[in-house]
Amino acid sequence: MKKNLFLIAISLTILLILGACSDSSSGTTDGEWTPEKSIEIVAPSGAGGGWDTTARMAAKVFDEEGIIDQNIGVVNKTGGGGAVGWAYIANYDGDPYHLFVASPPIIDVPLSGQSEYDHTDFTPIANIIADYGAFVVKADAKWDTLPELFDDLKEDPSSITVIGSSSPGSMDHLQFVRFAKAYGVDVKDIKYVSEQDGGELTALLNGSVDVFSTGVAETVEQVRAGNVKVLAVTSEERLQGDVFSDFPTAKEQGIDETFVNWRGFFGPPNMDEEARKYYENAFKELSDNDAWKEIRAQYGWDEMFMGSEEFAKFLDEQLDVTKELLDELGLTE
Amino acid sequence: MDILNGISQGLQVALSLEGILFVLIGVLIGTLIGMIPGLGPITAIGVMIPISYGMDIHLALIMMAGVYYGAVFGGSTSSILLNAPGIEGTIATSFDGYPMAQQGKAGKALAIAAICSFVGGTVGIILLMSLAPALATVAIAFGPAEYFALMLLALMAITSLSDGSMSKALISGVLGFMVATVGIDGQTGTPRFTFGNINLLDGIEFLVIGLGLFAIAEVAILIINRNNKSQTKLHKIGSLRLTKQDFKEMRGPMSRQSLVGFLIGVLPGAGATIASFIGYTSEKKLAKKPEEFGKGSVAGLAGPETANNAATSGAFVPLLSLGIPGSGTTAVMLGAFLVMGIQPGPLLMTEQPTLFWAIIISMYIGNIFLLILNLPLIPYISKILLIPRPMLISLVIFFCVIGIYTLSFNVFDLYLLLFFGVIGFLMKLVKIPPAPFILAFILGDMMEQSLRKALTISNGNLSIFVERPIAMSLLIVSLLSLVIPPLFRYFKRKNASA
Repeated sequence: MKKNLFLIAISLTILLILGACSDSSSGTTDGEWTPEKSIEIVAPSGAGGGWDTTARMAAKVFDEEGIIDQNIGVVNKTGGGGAVGWAYIANYDGDPYHLFVASPPIIDVPLSGQSEYDHTDFTPIANIIADYGAFVVKADAKWDTLPELFDDLKEDPSSITVIGSSSPGSMDHLQFVRFAKAYGVDVKDIKYVSEQDGGELTALLNGSVDVFSTGVAETVEQVRAGNVKVLAVTSEERLQGDVFSDFPTAKEQGIDETFVNWRGFFGPPNMDEEARKYYENAFKELSDNDAWKEIRAQYGWDEMFMGSEEFAKFLDEQLDVTKELLDELGLTE
Repeated sequence: MDILNGISQGLQVALSLEGILFVLIGVLIGTLIGMIPGLGPITAIGVMIPISYGMDIHLALIMMAGVYYGAVFGGSTSSILLNAPGIEGTIATSFDGYPMAQQGKAGKALAIAAICSFVGGTVGIILLMSLAPALATVAIAFGPAEYFALMLLALMAITSLSDGSMSKALISGVLGFMVATVGIDGQTGTPRFTFGNINLLDGIEFLVIGLGLFAIAEVAILIINRNNKSQTKLHKIGSLRLTKQDFKEMRGPMSRQSLVGFLIGVLPGAGATIASFIGYTSEKKLAKKPEEFGKGSVAGLAGPETANNAATSGAFVPLLSLGIPGSGTTAVMLGAFLVMGIQPGPLLMTEQPTLFWAIIISMYIGNIFLLILNLPLIPYISKILLIPRPMLISLVIFFCVIGIYTLSFNVFDLYLLLFFGVIGFLMKLVKIPPAPFILAFILGDMMEQSLRKALTISNGNLSIFVERPIAMSLLIVSLLSLVIPPLFRYFKRKNASA
């Protein structure tokens, strides 16, 4: 009996480890370069987060729709807000079988000196989706528009506290600062607290803090329950969907600024040109695929396809904007 | 009417054949994973998300909930038998559970743990069912100032975790605080004590320290004492039977800690670990024979085991009634809800009554399953202790290494495990207790971050801690818990001599 128990325990453990990898099938597609062995996609975060979900869903559609005829395994490399995963990929110089998923932190984290590698060290393949941010206050707060909030912030910055999930100098903080700056608020005086244990909404609802800077999807249920109101979303135009379309953009309130939480895929440094092209086409096919469209709708992601070249240019622009903001905040290394 | 309708539909789902089957699968996987040191509910649920894709929503979530509370239920086993906490929430279980097993009463210890887990879990569910909407307001009443005060109260536990020498307990606690500061500081984004090593940026994983200080250090001691004849009792499992006296000693802790544990579980961020520590120390403070604590006390095992399971039920309150994850595990569960196309939020109960009630009702069934799965298995599970010592030691190390590796798939964590194993061994040699270290480590980060968040909000004004009634009450209770026991003892002695 004890032997059985240990067998169960051991096989369960192995099952769990194997569970992190997945899928099957083989074959070839036309084109110059095609993968000849299984491919690994790294999600530089734990299971269940945004990077992880994007990578796993992409791997699933690649496999199920036969876009890539090789096994694709998703591997989690947690740590340092991505730095551990990036350092891991950097070891695979030129190896076309290791990809990773990324979003704005690959710009912010290196800028604040927490990663040896930045986006220029890797080969951008394609961007595929976009998410947007939102600025949320309690339903009974005195502000109804973003300019009203920013006016008060200009007058007495010590009276307003902003909360977000990311650390200072990263996404939630930067998106707020970005819009405040566009309105002419002195961003150095903005009080920002970072809450990494999931207590952001609690702090907003009990009045400990005044503004919650977050992703749009996180706010919808609280808006529907009448607990909070969205002062502005960070997209260029109003979003589609039931509750979403009620949220005003900052732009329509006269603040000419946008912020996109983009998500795309990279290869290791010096990836072969032919391989890059192969993946770029595969991601284009993914982006146009109906199964992928369904997944996008399910998670509330927007389509945002950029090919390799366009993606690289976009990243450089993002780097400049972000660096300027971080310099102003005194958070660059 | 709506509620009754919801309950009856929930009953239909939970009591259907598939419903019962998936609860069973969930709790079975949960207990087994909980028993393996290092593998916890977070890993289990994370891995199950992609697997459950396409399954019926109700069944998938019933199963995942089962994995969660099943793991907390099963986590006590390895704490008791091997001094290797199965999951975070069962560290305090080893304080009295492991000594009991060493005295040849492993069967009894496991039986107590199973019964208390069952009672804590079940009372928790009853409270969850009847109080969830009302408690939702309690869950959001806690801001940074309140959390700081709560952490301070939990920290007072250090005074009851010493085995005699208070200064050694304090040394241990300070070490824990120091290790807690490693990593990127949440409020400034600055790396602290990382020595330029990216593997330390996220700080040190709790289980690395838990398994290092407890399991690896214990293994080292076992190796050193391998020729010591007095250790042979470890090979005895003893009877499962609990005496009337045992039940009498369990009654108090069970009734108190199922309530206290539940309430702590309701608070986002506090969870089973803190509940079990508070369960342990408050029972020690109330005990008639506090000197037995740490040496195999029934109440010392019953307290934390009831509290951590009640807290697990409590953690569902903010998740189901507010859509707010209260812990790492419930955050991953929130992710699972999203994958299934359900946004848990304040409206879940009114818009998805079937789901809400199906999960709650399945939890009752799950807890009954856990009890009937665990009790008869005890004689078999505790046979682990009959495995020849060299093999047992290798197995413990094997599971610790696998558990830690699956946390992050990073070899660096294994070096850390070894490092803390050595630290734990040295601490044992000089008789510094590891429990205050681990408590300070758990509380340290949250306490520091809450303090700084509170002070940022108040623009540096300390009055925020006394202006808010909950924060102030908690601070007063912390102070009293420090002052009253010595005073009490003083008067008792005076009376005795008079």
